[in-house]
Amino acid sequence: MQAYATKLIDLIELKAENIAKQWATDVMKHNRTPSYSSLPLDRVIERGVAFYRLFRQMSLANVPYEAAKNFSWKYAKDCYRDKIPLQEAVYALILLRRNLWLYAEFQGVFVSALELHQAVESLNRTILMYDYVSYQVIEKYQELIHAEVDKKLGPVKMTMNNPIIAIKSIYKSGLMGILLLGACILTYYYHATLGTGVIFTHLFYIPIILASVWWGKKGIFTAIFLAGLILISHVLFLKAVPFLDDIIRALMFIVIGGVVGWLMDGIRKIEDMYKANI
Amino acid sequence: MLASLKLLDLMANSSASMAKQWAKDVVKNPKTPYYHNSDQDKIIPQAAEFYQKLSRVYTDKDPFTAIQGFMGKFAEARFKEKVPLHEALYSIILMRRHIWLYAEFQAIFISIIEQHQALDSQLRTILMFDYITYAFTEKYWELMNQEMGKKNKK
Repeated sequence: MQAYATKLIDLIELKAENIAKQWATDVMKHNRTPSYSSLPLDRVIERGVAFYRLFRQMSLANVPYEAAKNFSWKYAKDCYRDKIPLQEAVYALILLRRNLWLYAEFQGVFVSALELHQAVESLNRTILMYDYVSYQVIEKYQELIHAEVDKKLGPVKMTMNNPIIAIKSIYKSGLMGILLLGACILTYYYHATLGTGVIFTHLFYIPIILASVWWGKKGIFTAIFLAGLILISHVLFLKAVPFLDDIIRALMFIVIGGVVGWLMDGIRKIEDMYKANI
Repeated sequence: MLASLKLLDLMANSSASMAKQWAKDVVKNPKTPYYHNSDQDKIIPQAAEFYQKLSRVYTDKDPFTAIQGFMGKFAEARFKEKVPLHEALYSIILMRRHIWLYAEFQAIFISIIEQHQALDSQLRTILMFDYITYAFTEKYWELMNQEMGKKNKK
């Protein structure tokens, strides 16, 4: 096959820039590749020349599939960077192959019966090359999408893998029970025994935030419980102390618990999306 | 285009045999690992249907719209099965190759005129598969974006 395709390879090598220019004109106005219309002409031509030069490299290589990788990966990266949708990137490859063939026909490379036979062989070679390149381009393009998602979700992944968040459910409930019991004892001690509303309630943010981190919006019930606890305890034991401070504290518990829970639910959705697309 | 009719007949009448040959290839091709554990009874009808549908639009003056229709459904099915896009496309490339392999095996292009028909058929097949590749990638890409959009809205 190599001998038959030589004629076409020679033509491509010699006229790579001309064929690339013809392709550039085609791809920049084709209705299936609209994203190319806004690219600089030089950049498009450069891409075309790289494709046509690949033809010789692939023909000489022992493993043509491997020889195509450098080009394919660069092509995919360039298209991804230029925000060219995948189907357009693939169709541009189709046009690269077609223009090569159109140029050969236009130049009258295959005229006689023998040359017609060569034409079939050359055609097969261009198709094989296209098959390899399109496979590699699509594979790489998807890899780039995943890499970008990975990069964007890096902090989320770190958050979700945090040992405090990844703790087993049974331990979460147990630890929360202990913290809430501690909160009840602390409240009773300060309100009933010492008779003071000194700001021990800052410690309550530990169970409130942990509950929201672990259970998302449902974690707000911990904040509501603790808010209720300080308000009831105040009514029972601190009748002489103004009520307003504890009302504000109780409201803050609920606000903080709600906001953290809402944010954690959002992070979980992003994580689910990430897992589904990798 | 009339010269392509021979290949068209072969595709329409031997779709099941072609599909079987394709299935044997796709389940062991290193570029299509998704299919390696696939049930052949499940994938052969997919390919046979593909060949049937392709044969119906093969001689259309403007086959793109029809191809877009049936390849849209084909892409939806592969997307639901979670076949990676590059593997799904390579399986289509293998389908195209098997049309030719089957035609060669059946020795339908022997004489000089038939050789000429071969070139004509080959060009027509390539054009069809160019449309198929584009339509398939377009739909699959759209489905990927829809999925991302849905998850973002949740």
